[in-house]
Amino acid sequence: MTGTSMTTRAWLLMLPLLAVMIAVIGWPLADTIGLSFTDAKLVGTSGNFVGIDNYVKTLSGSNFQRTLVTTTIFAVVSVFAEMVLGVLAALLLNQQFYGRTVLRGLMILPWALPTVVNATLWRLIYNPEYGALNAALTQIGLLDAYRSWLGEPGTALAALIVADCWKNFPLVALIALAALQAVPRDITAASLVDGAGPFARFRFVILPYLAGPLVVALVLRTIEAFKVFDIIWVMTRGGPANSTRTLSILVYQEAFSFQRAGSGASLALIVTLLVAVLAAAYAVLVRRTAGSNA
Amino acid sequence: MSALEIQNIRKTYGAVETLKGIDISLESGEFLVLLGSSGCGKSTLLNIIAGLAEASGGDIRIGGRSILGVHPKDRDIAMVFQSYALYPNLSVHRNIGFGLEMRKVPAAERERAVQETAKLLQIENLLDRKPGQLSGGQRQRVAIGRALVRKPQVFLFDEPLSNLDAKLRMETRTELKRLHQMLGTTIVYVTHDQIEAMTLATRIAVMRNGRIEQLGTPEEVYDHPATLYVAGFVGSPPMNVLDGVVTGEGVQLDGGAVIALPVRLKNVVAAGRRVKLGVRPEALRLVGETADHRVLDVEIEVVELTGPELVVTGRVSGQRVTACLPPRTKLTVGMKQAFTFDEDALHLFDAETELALG
Repeated sequence: MTGTSMTTRAWLLMLPLLAVMIAVIGWPLADTIGLSFTDAKLVGTSGNFVGIDNYVKTLSGSNFQRTLVTTTIFAVVSVFAEMVLGVLAALLLNQQFYGRTVLRGLMILPWALPTVVNATLWRLIYNPEYGALNAALTQIGLLDAYRSWLGEPGTALAALIVADCWKNFPLVALIALAALQAVPRDITAASLVDGAGPFARFRFVILPYLAGPLVVALVLRTIEAFKVFDIIWVMTRGGPANSTRTLSILVYQEAFSFQRAGSGASLALIVTLLVAVLAAAYAVLVRRTAGSNA
Repeated sequence: MSALEIQNIRKTYGAVETLKGIDISLESGEFLVLLGSSGCGKSTLLNIIAGLAEASGGDIRIGGRSILGVHPKDRDIAMVFQSYALYPNLSVHRNIGFGLEMRKVPAAERERAVQETAKLLQIENLLDRKPGQLSGGQRQRVAIGRALVRKPQVFLFDEPLSNLDAKLRMETRTELKRLHQMLGTTIVYVTHDQIEAMTLATRIAVMRNGRIEQLGTPEEVYDHPATLYVAGFVGSPPMNVLDGVVTGEGVQLDGGAVIALPVRLKNVVAAGRRVKLGVRPEALRLVGETADHRVLDVEIEVVELTGPELVVTGRVSGQRVTACLPPRTKLTVGMKQAFTFDEDALHLFDAETELALG
């Protein structure tokens, strides 16, 4: 078969999928781009062309800037904690001990559960009247009176980050554990004979094998955390006093709660662009890590 | 005082006993090769010496000090692994100096030791590279360098040449021999390759099923195998083994031919005893003009020219025999040819215990 006919055949085979993708992604995206230059409402008129007004207003508005900061704090802290917890859990589960297989299975549970279930579970734990956290902290004497963890602006974001970590660290642990299995036994043995302690062994023997898979986990988790919506929507709906409002929540509020479809569309596109930049930056990072390990 | 003393070492995994009481005493500067097939326990023994596995019983002493229970880094040993086990993200320079770095040896002293070792192994030009940028042979040199640089009392080698191609294996083998002669280090070396064992060792411990079958110099192991297993394992092609029974005239092979026994063996075996007669392929030669008491009439089945020799396989009284002859020997498949051998080349083993007789 010639090269040209192979190319034609490849395009023909991809055509149905391309058509579907254009229909479900391309068209709505184009529509959103069009919408973002109008003052359209969700219900009613299709709106008038307003140029880049929506973008200017969004980017210069304090709402967007504050939400961007909240989202960044949420993403950075939760992803960092997930990476640390995940690697520690993987190191622990890589040891030989009785019941290891059961524990490995149990560890995946938080990640495997639907986010809504997780969020509901944590709402119960944080409940200001009968929550387990309040009960535990007062019983061990760390707390005088029950608090509304999700109801106070000072604690709500931290409480959400804890819940998000609990849900997502197993994914990092799973990836790290798989990477740990690939560390050659001989290299670990050589480091023992060479006199490397636990930290030197982690730094020089284990980390080189973990780095690549961890970068992939970091990419996945950062993008996910930046787009976070469901866990926050179920637990706080962005409150109290917008202290847990992330970009996705802001887009939702703008487009659906306030029914400003044009402005919501511009915001959604800005978020998309931010995530795309993050993804591109990480793609470079992944390639570099892969290159340095080759 | 022995450099390394292995006393009644045992190792069990549940009900399975992989080492059944190993005793070896090694003088300083000796090159001991633990030789055996897969699963014989040789690597387990090496790992126990290194501290990477725990013994179930017995003791190991290095320089008179018991090292069981001592951390591998404090045993005064260095180890070279089959897979090289280099740290992939560190340069060759840091790989070689890693053990010294971990022991907090001052940088200047470390640098001098690394440079000396690199010069000894002729890898000075590779010091800035990462292991991933090296060939198999170069990696093996770095791995050896990492062991040499620390100047420990005992070096442990775990099948270090197995991952190299045939030509490089031979070159590295010679290099190891040169290093040992030059440095006079004490080495314990694990291999399943009997050529490596024969060429490198000052003593060989042939292991089988967790026991030492024979411990001796390469010459002793080759010329006077203590058991039928050793006779078959050391030597390539392996020793010919022919079943027979002792009679007044010698050994009557199953199938008819009688082989006269030398005087040294006549009085040690009683008539009627079933034995296995062993002759190395390289000890066989074509029968000359003179009559001989030890003649094997072989029906030739296969003739293989390997280059330096002609390997002839055939049958005598229905039993298989191999002979290694000079390459120009004129023999063809289907011929009947009489072979003979010197009386010193005749080995006799008890058919039941498989122990050497005489």
